[in-house]
Amino acid sequence: MLKKMTTHLLAGAMLLAATGAASAETLKVWSRQTDESALILKTLTDAFTAKTGIKVESYNTGTDFEQRLARAAAARDLPDVVINDDIALGQMLKMGIIEEVDPSKIEGNDQIVPAAWNSAKAANGKIYSVPISAQAFALFVRKDWREKLGLPQPKTWDDLHKLAEAFTKNDPDGNGKADTFGLSVPASTVRGYASWYMSNFIWAAGGNFVKQEKGGFKPDLESKPVAAALGFMRSLFCEGLVQPGAINATTGDALPTFRSGQTGIFLSGPYHIAVLDEQPGKDKIEVLPPPAGPGGVAALAEGTSAYIMTGTKARTAAEKFIGYLISPEGQEIGMGEGTGHTPLVRLPTNKAVDVNAVRKDARWETFKEVFDKSGHYVPPVPNWTPIRMLTAEGFNKILASCSSDIPAELKAIDQQMAEELRKQKALAE
Amino acid sequence: MSATRDLSLGDEVPQQPARAKRKRARRLDWKGALIPWLFLAPALVIFTWFKFYPMASGLTMAFYDVQFYGESQWVGLDNFARAFSDPDLRAAVGHTLTYVIVSTLTASTLAFFLALVLEGQARHLRIIRTAIFLPAITSAAVIAEIWRILFNSAPYGVVNSVLDQLGIAPQGFLTDPGQALWVLVLMQVWKSTPYDMVIFVAGLVGINRELYDAANVDGASRLRMLWHVTLPGIIPSISVVIMLSFIRGFRVFAEVYATTGGGPAGSTETIMTHIYKAGFQNLEYGYASAVSLLLLAATIVLTLIQTLVKARLSR
Repeated sequence: MLKKMTTHLLAGAMLLAATGAASAETLKVWSRQTDESALILKTLTDAFTAKTGIKVESYNTGTDFEQRLARAAAARDLPDVVINDDIALGQMLKMGIIEEVDPSKIEGNDQIVPAAWNSAKAANGKIYSVPISAQAFALFVRKDWREKLGLPQPKTWDDLHKLAEAFTKNDPDGNGKADTFGLSVPASTVRGYASWYMSNFIWAAGGNFVKQEKGGFKPDLESKPVAAALGFMRSLFCEGLVQPGAINATTGDALPTFRSGQTGIFLSGPYHIAVLDEQPGKDKIEVLPPPAGPGGVAALAEGTSAYIMTGTKARTAAEKFIGYLISPEGQEIGMGEGTGHTPLVRLPTNKAVDVNAVRKDARWETFKEVFDKSGHYVPPVPNWTPIRMLTAEGFNKILASCSSDIPAELKAIDQQMAEELRKQKALAE
Repeated sequence: MSATRDLSLGDEVPQQPARAKRKRARRLDWKGALIPWLFLAPALVIFTWFKFYPMASGLTMAFYDVQFYGESQWVGLDNFARAFSDPDLRAAVGHTLTYVIVSTLTASTLAFFLALVLEGQARHLRIIRTAIFLPAITSAAVIAEIWRILFNSAPYGVVNSVLDQLGIAPQGFLTDPGQALWVLVLMQVWKSTPYDMVIFVAGLVGINRELYDAANVDGASRLRMLWHVTLPGIIPSISVVIMLSFIRGFRVFAEVYATTGGGPAGSTETIMTHIYKAGFQNLEYGYASAVSLLLLAATIVLTLIQTLVKARLSR
């Protein structure tokens, strides 16, 4: 009886071990992208499997990604590789779910644009991810509206204000109704949209969120340039030159207003080219560098990185897969040219890949130029997410009321930021 | 000896079936007690596993700095201390209280009068009651979207167009920090009035008609009848309405999240949106759990107070 039980147990254990070994051959990859990008990821993983024989189980979602990761971590069932925003590094590191990456183990690591590595480093200087895509913001403008009203392409904030005013007041769609607006702005606090969006203007004004000093960071919002940036944006709100409801809008709410012809100016990333070509239409839009503020042209630069997750049993396969993601072949598939889907790779991080040769689209060239010349990454504080959240609350407060005391509010945000930086042990005292 | 034995035997003869019956009855009792539990068992097992256990483990998180992969750190009452000193939470509590109290009072008063008007068995009343009840069964997300369209801050928004006809300038509504919370209160009133009304209608049916007749004979005015007969008669309904409305109000989330996300300027931040942001956007599960625990405690206390008040009133 006992013997029989032991044999059964042994057989069971062996079966478990066998399935464990088999699953090590399958790489689990999660990606935080819009649903459309799932097809591009699938093409990528299929090509990788065909090349290496390593099977890939991929999962793509654009909603509640961090919460799903938290659940997977709690269940000790994390994927092996995660493709996520570079900004998520601090938060994922704090959650203890990513492992350090040794670039020398990743084939083709020397081909990556040096600047891109900056976003792959944690505050402690160690590398925790491999950058696979980069991007910067640029201005989508309704070319047909602009030409109809006989206005030039906006080069400065002043031009932008005039264009927004004309789009709001001069009936650019010619339907005889006052139902159009200048800018489409996501100023909600949800996920920190207001901060994410305003960062473009803060840097263009010559301002900063924080100053990097010896021993850490010092909040730096209470300054003339930052006040100018918020004052400029607030004037657009108060004069009614942004879409109604902008103060509560996320990008998900803002995008449809530009697509449907309610607004004519939309500051966004290149991932929106595909959907905007569909509607309002390729011939109706143009992509321009962000207009210069008092401090010059500046745009938020972001990236997408590949992370290796804690406890992976398929580390070698994960490294191979990431090597494939940054290879010229992987990058080109990720760019999804001609598929009409939102690309996984926006601007390639592999310097051997020429975006113009692949895209043959001057608009992508504009995005690349903005990224190369005017791109600003968020400051390398240990965890940017809570700071993005609290600055979004503060900016939203300023934009919500035309009589808000901007310097006082900025001072209050600085205090909250100092508290958060102290919590992260990154405050320069 | 033999006689006694006989007697005792004789005694025992009729006793035997009685004892057996008692024994069987006891067994039946035991069985009878067990059977409902057996029927309940599947539900209980499922509830324990999917509800009670997660709830309990959620509550314990309040005492930890929750780590997702490593060991969570015990922090004692730190999360609670933070909750009490968090100015954003204080503001959120203020908004929630305003929201709950104003919407509860307005909705229940309106519902009471609606119930008086629509009480009865006539067919047309039933149709009207059903029509009025629709908002109560529509999903919060759908209602939120409809209200966003109605209260669009553009001059061509539905409500703004109506105001324009009345010569009133377009309002900001959900985009105005001074108005957003009140638009949400209005939405809650619109949504919960019919719900409360149904409870009141049921309560009104239960009032003894003879009391009205007696009051009539005594020459009581309508208002007096309302005050001395109707109101005391529906105290249980009022109690249910207020309790449900409080609990619903304190947990308000979808309506706020889908319309304003807590903005503008944090003017519609409620306890639940605050918890959501702390928990699911900043991933501070420990803190979010602590605030949830406080909310639960507050709800329980309120319910107890309400039960006490009801008991005193109906005495």
